Amino acid sequence: MKAVFKREVRSYFSSPVGYVCVAAIAALYGFYYFAYVMLYGATAYAKDVYSVMFQFCMMIIPIITMRSMTEDKKNKTDQALLTAPVGVTSIVMGKFFASFFVFFLASTLGLLPAVALNFFASPPWGIIFGNYIGTLLYGGAMISIGIFVSSMTESQVIAAIGTFVISIVLMFIDGVTSNFSNEILSKVINWISFNARYDTFTNGIFSIPSAVFFISVMAIFVFITSRRVESRRWS
Amino acid sequence: MVEVKHLTKRYGVNTAIDNVSFMVEEGTIVGFLGPNGAGKTTTMNIITGYLSATSGSVTVSGIDTLEEPNEVKKMIGYLPEQPPLYLDMTVKEYLNFMYELKKVTLPKEKHIKEICGLTKIEEVYTRLIGNLSKGYRQRVGIAQALLGNPPVLILDEPTVGLDPKQIIEIRNLIQNLGKSHTVILSSHILSEVQAVCERIIVISNGRVVADGSADTLAHDLSDEHKLIARIEGPEKEIIYAVKNLEKVVDVVSLGEKEKGVYDISIEGEPDYDLRKPLFALLTRKGWPLLALKTTDLTLEDLFLRLTSTDYAPEKSFVPQKRPQVELLLDDEGETEGSEVEKTSENDEGGAD
Repeated sequence: MKAVFKREVRSYFSSPVGYVCVAAIAALYGFYYFAYVMLYGATAYAKDVYSVMFQFCMMIIPIITMRSMTEDKKNKTDQALLTAPVGVTSIVMGKFFASFFVFFLASTLGLLPAVALNFFASPPWGIIFGNYIGTLLYGGAMISIGIFVSSMTESQVIAAIGTFVISIVLMFIDGVTSNFSNEILSKVINWISFNARYDTFTNGIFSIPSAVFFISVMAIFVFITSRRVESRRWS
Repeated sequence: MVEVKHLTKRYGVNTAIDNVSFMVEEGTIVGFLGPNGAGKTTTMNIITGYLSATSGSVTVSGIDTLEEPNEVKKMIGYLPEQPPLYLDMTVKEYLNFMYELKKVTLPKEKHIKEICGLTKIEEVYTRLIGNLSKGYRQRVGIAQALLGNPPVLILDEPTVGLDPKQIIEIRNLIQNLGKSHTVILSSHILSEVQAVCERIIVISNGRVVADGSADTLAHDLSDEHKLIARIEGPEKEIIYAVKNLEKVVDVVSLGEKEKGVYDISIEGEPDYDLRKPLFALLTRKGWPLLALKTTDLTLEDLFLRLTSTDYAPEKSFVPQKRPQVELLLDDEGETEGSEVEKTSENDEGGAD
């Protein structure tokens, strides 16, 4: 897992992908901190920064994950990975953690404006950390889904679009419950809703059940991806 | 060392390999021969654990690939047809990555240096793989297969796309590796297989159709076992004298080739080597022997014949303890050009 993780991280930063994703997220955080907090002159608007940035992050995640599995399949480098004495789950986990690392780096750089703000004002650290952790957990779950989607295709474009569509669906799925009065549908949507879990973090509350939910999603999709890769051996 | 038993792989309704069985002894170089789509790569992929078989088993040093896949993978170095290289890495980074991935326990720097020396890639060690020539990429592919010094090397068409000089270099490298490793290699280049491999396994339409050394196969597959001798001397006396040799069945003159030099076709009893008594006779009589050849099939003839649909085996091949010829072929009919062409066309659609 460690070897795959190191290779993948190196690969992100040996091409523009890693730098562009990290720089784009960091720059947007900076811009929205300026636009919301500095111009309005109220640190309470930090919550709005994260609200906007959450959507940008969900757009960038498909770009981070689109090449995870597709590139190996296309370049036949999966032959080196799958004939090495390591488990498929370890390989997928290595890739997952590498993608997550890029996202983590970008999100952490997004804290810099808040740190700078700390010299002149009192930012609402509870809200900021809540959003930061919530974004990381939601992002981690989306990354695991993105890696799964990339294992389904050899095309990076299809992988990116597929993940993007899922991310959009998950962002707006909660709205469906208000439009339909079907009780079972509402229950199912509430059960799988990412937003409902994420919202608790945005209020500065660290919700263990929500954290467990996101971590479970990550574990499930890493597992499904490894089964998917394994299933190719049997096809 | 490597034992393949009744291996079958189906892709839906298509059967890529059908009941393939063979055994490779330790320290031998075995060549996989067969047309495109014959099942060579599929067999190799199953041995390395990249693919699973529909039925059958593979054991390496007695360990089953399904029961302890990681243990088996540690014992195999694999060079697929397209080397699994990351073009965005330098050779150094790639070999270090593969070293860690394969969980090699040998001293890292020393081991990688040794392999680089063996595969002659020291001069490109710090260069990006994406900028290397095909030959160097192939060498880097072989280098990664050698990491961890695995006892079994599986090389899928290791010289494909290389220039003649590179082919000779890689061939020499494989021969050297064969001294300390069990090597299974596939190739389309018949001369290469003949030069490098001690044993040949011919696969056609997913089945093993022959298994043995090139010479043995060529001899055993020949319908006629004649010697063609070019002898200087009186034609009639030569024919008379040779006919009187023990176990000679038929002697025919093929005509005068040079002044006073005749080509004589000599047929002996099956499995009897006429060369020594013939040489002794000619020496005694003072008739110079200018050339001597057998009518055994060449490897090319052998390949065409074995991979022709007419020669598909009726039942599965059962491997023997030691390499020996097991021909499950009909003795009927000659291979005709049209039949060979038909076979090639049929084979192209299959899974390789």
